[in-house]
Amino acid sequence: MRSRIYTIINGHFKSWYRSKSNIFWTVAFPLLLIVLFGAIFGSGSTKFDLYLQNQDLNGNVATPLSQGYVNVLNQTGAFNLHMVAAEQPDPLTYVKNDAQLHNRGQRLLVVPLGFNATLMSGKNATIQLYMDQSDQASQSLAGIVHSVTVSYAAKIANAPDNLYVQQVGIVTRNIRYIDFFIPGVIGMTLLTTGVFGAVNTNGRYRELKIIKKLATTPLSKIEWILGMVGYQMIIATISLVVILFFGYAIFGVTATLDIYTVGLVVAAALLFPGIGMVLANFVKEAESADAAANAITFPMMFLAGTFWPRETLPDIMKLIANFMPLTYINDGLRDALIYAEPAQALTNTLIALGLAAFFIVLGSLLLNWKEE
Amino acid sequence: MNPSLTPLLPGQSNNVVHVEKLSKKYKETVAVNGISFSLSKGEVFAFLGPNGAGKTTTVEILECLRAPTGGQARVLDYDVSKRSDQGEIRKRIGVLPQDFNAIDRLTVRENIDYFGAMFDHQLDADQLIELVDLKDKRDSQFKTLSGGLKQRVGLAVALVNDPALVFLDEPTTGLDPRARRDVWYVIERLKKQGKTVFLTTHYMDEAEYLADTVSIIDHGQIIASGTPDQLIDTHGGKKTLIIRDAGQEGMSQLPPGLPKAELRNAGDIAVPLNNGELTDILMRLGQTPLHDKEIEVRRPTLDDVFLNLTGRRVSEEGT
Repeated sequence: MRSRIYTIINGHFKSWYRSKSNIFWTVAFPLLLIVLFGAIFGSGSTKFDLYLQNQDLNGNVATPLSQGYVNVLNQTGAFNLHMVAAEQPDPLTYVKNDAQLHNRGQRLLVVPLGFNATLMSGKNATIQLYMDQSDQASQSLAGIVHSVTVSYAAKIANAPDNLYVQQVGIVTRNIRYIDFFIPGVIGMTLLTTGVFGAVNTNGRYRELKIIKKLATTPLSKIEWILGMVGYQMIIATISLVVILFFGYAIFGVTATLDIYTVGLVVAAALLFPGIGMVLANFVKEAESADAAANAITFPMMFLAGTFWPRETLPDIMKLIANFMPLTYINDGLRDALIYAEPAQALTNTLIALGLAAFFIVLGSLLLNWKEE
Repeated sequence: MNPSLTPLLPGQSNNVVHVEKLSKKYKETVAVNGISFSLSKGEVFAFLGPNGAGKTTTVEILECLRAPTGGQARVLDYDVSKRSDQGEIRKRIGVLPQDFNAIDRLTVRENIDYFGAMFDHQLDADQLIELVDLKDKRDSQFKTLSGGLKQRVGLAVALVNDPALVFLDEPTTGLDPRARRDVWYVIERLKKQGKTVFLTTHYMDEAEYLADTVSIIDHGQIIASGTPDQLIDTHGGKKTLIIRDAGQEGMSQLPPGLPKAELRNAGDIAVPLNNGELTDILMRLGQTPLHDKEIEVRRPTLDDVFLNLTGRRVSEEGT
């Protein structure tokens, strides 16, 4: 049995690497997308995103010295300042959500209540800067904030030491667009190779009577499916490794490979061929099945958060995205590879594995091994 | 213990295939309607009939791809309806499905090994490549081959497990005459090796040339069986004398006493012959202006057998 499954995997794999178009769609196309999207959206503004909460209000109006400090920060031209309302009780969570939504760096500067009064009395005031210490952009930003602060203190009281910037490390990472995009491209590649691979092997092979021929041999349906899934796992692993290596080499994207990544690759290698097998069963002609596969994969690609965060979609689209299996693969891969959020990665991995079990079982039941 | 792969007839019978009152119904359609036949070891058996006659359905029942709805079928003394027997049948048969294509991007050799790996026991791929005369194409990808060569790969793949019984479903459909001859040549070699071959075809000449025995199937029923000669003798009708290119003028020059002579489309005159008549007619023709025309005696074919039995020609029904 092992030898038969190995033969099926080997046959699929040889057919894959001997086809230039397969190599293009599985390897070259995702890399091309990364370069294109990375170039278009990755560079962005040269200014640093900085969230700022001025808690030093007199009534609803900022105190003169705190407002003066904000103005000075603004005048440097180094920052895109995003104001956080003073009454916001949990500014860090707000910043985390808002920054992810807009693909901004998660950095928050808090001007404390009593800033004006403290400085006027000649005492020392402390400004807190929340940022991820490992984020290189944040280091440069901290340097600029520090310089601006010292010069402001010198200007208002001729006492540069009166103002102190306290850096506070936060665990959230600064996610660039390319960091967000790379797991999406992996998800997209797993989707297309899985669905189209299964449509091809089960639709086209049926037309060519290869499946009929195999059904007259001792090969069983389950061995055939295991061979196909095994092949998909190899392709999925190759895609993952190539894309991550490329992302690291060109854009410095660092990813964490863990058990959830493995779980998600296994889920994808079952889930997407399962969907392809269901399609190949309902749409008998290989060419129509190909069209059906396009009709399924394209909307999923765009709505499931491959190219941009789902939060930017209209509400109805967000709702639809919740029913798309790729959503959980994409989210899981992001949680596992980039965000290092094991709890969320686990949830998404479990959902993906559940969907995978459903579709591969459904696809296997529907696969017509003998009589048509 | 499993019986060995060859020569294998576990029972007393010499029948490799034994079919009795076999039926297959699909809702309203009756594809196979109570047919019975047997196939002996070492025999090349042709199942002959037009498209839709029930040939492929019957073959696929014997290959355990479809379940019969009535009757019995045994292959190599195993029951095709029993799940436990189906595995044993699959180990021992070789199949070339109708319109089969191997895997495009695998080479000839790789394809043979691929399908061979599905069995516990497989013949050496090079030996098979030699048998089907594809040595030069051994390392060519399947997709680069012509239709005839592809079919020869299909034959090699069908033989890869050294089967006791080979099913060839319409092996030459869609091939040009030269490629058909090449496939026939391979089947003849199988015959010489003593293989039992179950051939389905709608080509009468193919059945006549290759088969030891023929069963003619039409509308799901077997309408005649026997050796090609027996079928022709029994159902083929008379031999025909053909006078080439004689035209309407030739009809008027015919000697008297040939009332059944007829003019055919190409301008040929066809004269049905009764036994012992030939010499007499030839002598009489020699005394007419037709004596210098090309003359041929045409023996009835299986096509005539089918025509006489059904009132239709297989060739009229397309492929």
